[in-house]
Amino acid sequence: MFELLAAGIVNVLHLKYLVPLSIGTLAGLIGGALPGVTITMTIIMVLPFTFGLDPLQGLAAMTGVYVGGSAGGAITAALIGIPGTPSAVTTTFDGFPMTQKGQPGRAVWLGIWSSFLGGLLGGVFLIGATGPLAAIALEFGPWEYFSLFVFALSMVAGLTEGSLIKGLLSGAIGLVITIIGSDPIMSVPRFTLGSDFLRNGFPFLPVLIGIFAFAQLMTDIEKMNQPEKSGGPVKAPPLTVSHLKVIWEILTKPFLLVWSTLVGILIGVLPAIGGSAATVMAYDQAKKFSRHPERFGKGNPEGIIASEASCNANVGGSLVTIMAFGIPGDAVTAVMLGAMTIHGIQSGPLFITQHPGVAYGIYAAYLLAHPIMVLICLLGTRFFMRVVTVNKSILIPIVMVLCVIGAYALNNIMDDVYVLLLFGLVGYALVKFRFPLAPLILGLILGDQIEINLVRAIMSDPDPWLFFTRPISGAMLALSVGSVILALWQHRRSQKRVARETEPDVDF
Amino acid sequence: MLGRDGIAGLICLGLSIALLVMTRGLPQSALVPIGPDFYPRIVLGIMAALSVMLIAADVLSRWRSRGAVTAPAAAAEERNYRLVTVTFAVFAVYVLLLPFLGFRVATFLFVVALQAVLEKPQGRRRWTVVITTALATVIVTYLAFEVYLSVLLPRGRWTGF
Repeated sequence: MFELLAAGIVNVLHLKYLVPLSIGTLAGLIGGALPGVTITMTIIMVLPFTFGLDPLQGLAAMTGVYVGGSAGGAITAALIGIPGTPSAVTTTFDGFPMTQKGQPGRAVWLGIWSSFLGGLLGGVFLIGATGPLAAIALEFGPWEYFSLFVFALSMVAGLTEGSLIKGLLSGAIGLVITIIGSDPIMSVPRFTLGSDFLRNGFPFLPVLIGIFAFAQLMTDIEKMNQPEKSGGPVKAPPLTVSHLKVIWEILTKPFLLVWSTLVGILIGVLPAIGGSAATVMAYDQAKKFSRHPERFGKGNPEGIIASEASCNANVGGSLVTIMAFGIPGDAVTAVMLGAMTIHGIQSGPLFITQHPGVAYGIYAAYLLAHPIMVLICLLGTRFFMRVVTVNKSILIPIVMVLCVIGAYALNNIMDDVYVLLLFGLVGYALVKFRFPLAPLILGLILGDQIEINLVRAIMSDPDPWLFFTRPISGAMLALSVGSVILALWQHRRSQKRVARETEPDVDF
Repeated sequence: MLGRDGIAGLICLGLSIALLVMTRGLPQSALVPIGPDFYPRIVLGIMAALSVMLIAADVLSRWRSRGAVTAPAAAAEERNYRLVTVTFAVFAVYVLLLPFLGFRVATFLFVVALQAVLEKPQGRRRWTVVITTALATVIVTYLAFEVYLSVLLPRGRWTGF
């Protein structure tokens, strides 16, 4: 394993891979630092550029975006109090107060070095756990795969904020999109309305780009007539700081660092939950374990460390799930999964054995993206602060053009662009109806696999009880039911709490 | 009267019933014990059941809160839906004109138009920024995709390039 990893690192250190990795990391840092531009949006923008590259070049660029974006959110969060990405919200709680206290350099670099250390610890888990987990997954039959996918979907739907029914319905909509097109066994066209284009079903990436990009861009446009909250142009304060002192400050809190990293990894491994949940949970845990919880929210370094270490460790966890099981950990890895498919690479338990060069190349790219990220930050943090002032009326048309290229360049047909437009409207409508998008995307990705494994299982043995009596399959289905019950209980509890808190004072 | 969730549930229910009806015409195979309609019916059945639950939950919550004094909506953020509609329209026109004008011409016009829609250019300086951005987008995408990455972008039937 270590020889393959060393070979992967040497390989990625070649300019052919190092350049896309560095450009991807830079793009991720800028996208992550830009308030309103998420990592998903950045990776969607980078996606079309990867079509002409070889698979590892493209995946290295995307890994760079993922790592850079996870760290980039901390810069604006700490300096101007506006999180560059949703997962950096918790960094604003202590990062910005620290800046206001006259320590902007310490605030930013605590975030960046925590991202670096948390990310590298996540990398150890990524490299150590993917192989064994993939080996376990290799033992799975169609019953286990079916139940695993159902578990992933039910858990994501259950963990979304707001209505549980809407979470489950969103996942069902994703599944329904995948039943349009030829059936996977006999290739009988279903719901195609006579269209040849639809015989292959809706292409995954234009649907994904349409839903995510438009849901966000249009929500940004809705708010364009509102006054900016930042209050005028952003001016970067001096960020001089003793890096050794900052690193020492993090390393003297080993429990906090390791615990936050573990939280990040575990949330990353769970499908489609995303970095925001990881940082919120890590921040909450750090506050609970702290000897001085009252200092949180007032510029406490522990808050920044917990938030940023978990954020980048989350990336490692997400990559484990995609590489071992072929299930995306979040929307960013969903795009990576789509990019792999374009290059003819099937992600899943056989991925490492069938494509060791690409798999260890991704590990290497992940590890190398961290020092590259620090280096870019050393050279250009002040530059990022200038970039965040870019006017949205300039940025949005450019992003839309890149979305069109991303959709068109897949198969060089306009039909994919029409799909982009259609699902742009669908994505915006779903946001307006307050449907969570994560379960939909997971349903979209897993739909075909769920059907194939269900049919395979029934064709192997028509006894439906096997789904429950085979130990792993039964356990997964029990966990699915458990996750829905848990979500129901949590929703009830939070509703009661909200009702108590909003109970009006009545004067008798 | 239904609320937002009720309407969403109704749309999903209508869609799932329409597709469920369409599964009746799907041909069966003698070779495979389960037909192409087996899985869609399960998924559509789940979607229909969830839609009914969403409608019921919406009706129930409205029934429970009947007569309750609703808080004034003053705190709600003002949203610019007109701008969203115009943006979708401009984007749709761009997508429809792409095969006729070609990527370069259509993209230039789209970037100019959408910038002008999102922030009305006032003065020569702002117009210069708008046109420069549109030109730069076309040139950079051409160089990056067509020249460097060999990704072909749509050619125009009317323009020939």
